Amino acid sequence: MGEFWEVFQRHLPEFRSGFYITCRLVAMSFVIAMGVGTIIAAFRVAPARALQRIGTVYVEFFRNIPLLVLIFIFFFGFPEVFNIGPWVAGTLALGLYTSAYIAETLRSGVFAVGKGQIDASLSLGFTYRQTLQKVVLPQSFRTVIPPLGNLIIAMIKNSAILGASALAIPDLLKTGRITAALTANAHASFFWAALGYLILTVTATFIVRHLEKRLAIRR
Amino acid sequence: MVFKYTPAPMGGSSSNGNLVEFDHVKKAFGANVVLDDINLDIRNGEAIVIAGPSGSGKSTMLRCINGLETIDSGDLRFDGRSVAKAGKGIYQLRANMGMVFQSFNLFPHKTVLDNITLGPTEVKGLSEQEAKERATSLLERVGIPEKADSYPADLSGGQQQRVAIARALAMEPKLMLFDEPTSALDPEMIREVLDVMRDLAKSGMTMVVVTHEMGFAREVCDRIVFIDEGKIVEEGPPDEFFTNAQSQRAKDFVDKILHH
Ligand SMILES: Nc1ncnc2c1ncn2[C@@H]1O[C@H](COP(=O)(O)OP(=O)(O)OP(=O)(O)O)[C@@H](O)[C@H]1O
Ligand SMILES: [Mg+2]
Repeated sequence: MGEFWEVFQRHLPEFRSGFYITCRLVAMSFVIAMGVGTIIAAFRVAPARALQRIGTVYVEFFRNIPLLVLIFIFFFGFPEVFNIGPWVAGTLALGLYTSAYIAETLRSGVFAVGKGQIDASLSLGFTYRQTLQKVVLPQSFRTVIPPLGNLIIAMIKNSAILGASALAIPDLLKTGRITAALTANAHASFFWAALGYLILTVTATFIVRHLEKRLAIRR
Repeated sequence: MVFKYTPAPMGGSSSNGNLVEFDHVKKAFGANVVLDDINLDIRNGEAIVIAGPSGSGKSTMLRCINGLETIDSGDLRFDGRSVAKAGKGIYQLRANMGMVFQSFNLFPHKTVLDNITLGPTEVKGLSEQEAKERATSLLERVGIPEKADSYPADLSGGQQQRVAIARALAMEPKLMLFDEPTSALDPEMIREVLDVMRDLAKSGMTMVVVTHEMGFAREVCDRIVFIDEGKIVEEGPPDEFFTNAQSQRAKDFVDKILHH
């Protein structure tokens, strides 16, 4: 136990910075995933066939390619198209990958909203877009908070793939690896890295539970 | 970004005093002909009840008026403008007619007050403050001002339906459509909703009501339209309909309802 503690104390600045970087990666990917996921979900349920098809292609594309391959595509692939640094490449890959799952989850939430809600909304003179924005999506979000939470937690864990890939982003996992090499103590190094991820996922779980309670639709 | 249209002046209904005109309206779902050559004029200020057996097309008639269902042929005009050919104008037409549903369909994620202010602020461009004032006075009118901050799930069925009526009225509609507004209610709550509707009719609102409440029909409405299998079988003042129906089908229907 003593050596665990020693590794932690000696490399606290690195772990702190790794933790902070993972937080930033997660936060940026989260924004991309939710934003794009919502738009794609709206496409998937739009009355226009063309939009539906774009949504379907998008979802199938990003769901059916391994995350690591996506990261490589963004980072190495077509440099003249994606002339972007490791941060943008990494968060885009993780964010867009997750957005496909979020879109599908939101879509299932949309279908859980009763047809009567849409009738009521349209009867007030709302356009389809207003109906989606003001009536359907807010309810969908609320009903899919638990599965969305699972996706966010998966995304936090998947962020380690960014650290393990060629991006050279010194996130928690990467910090663990560097520390392991420096101290020759892999147990302790990865223990502290794991604890960092645990703190993030447990916090996310807590926030999700809280949101679920606060925003629950009483029926 | 919120879509808002600029309200255009409404059409020339005043020329003949009709607010709604069914003109040889046909509507089918696949092979199932649901409205079969419907002709009906509804005058400004008139309250009519649509009656008929289950599946006869009553709900479909209402839903065609505000364009929730499209018609296959003929024409349907509201306030002098064709609903069928309205295109994007349908949103503006709908904003000028309210609809009340059997299952209330309040927005469960919004408070009672927000349910009522949503339409006026989003569609009619009212400020939050104006909409709130309007909602508050409507809640008083339907008798539940104290429920403004409650959520729909905390209200009884009768209260929910009165909120739904207030929500529709907040748009200051020219026409109110009611699709079996009391059918989902416990008997002791039916009255409170019918009372609101009666007051509304008295105030001169044009109303089209699908209901099995024949007491209400008799007392409040100007005309009963009896439909069966998508056709208007009979129409006339309620007294005549109840005591002196011409067709056998209407007679059977009255018998069944009155001796139930
Ligand atoms: N969206 C739809 N798709 C297919 N068929 C429909 C649809 N809506 C209604 N119908 C059919 O149209 C017919 C008329 O339905 P409608 O709901 O207008 O009857 P109603 O008179 O309101 O009956 P009820 O008293 O049971 O409410 C029925 O045969 C019904 O099955
Ligand atoms: Mg019906």
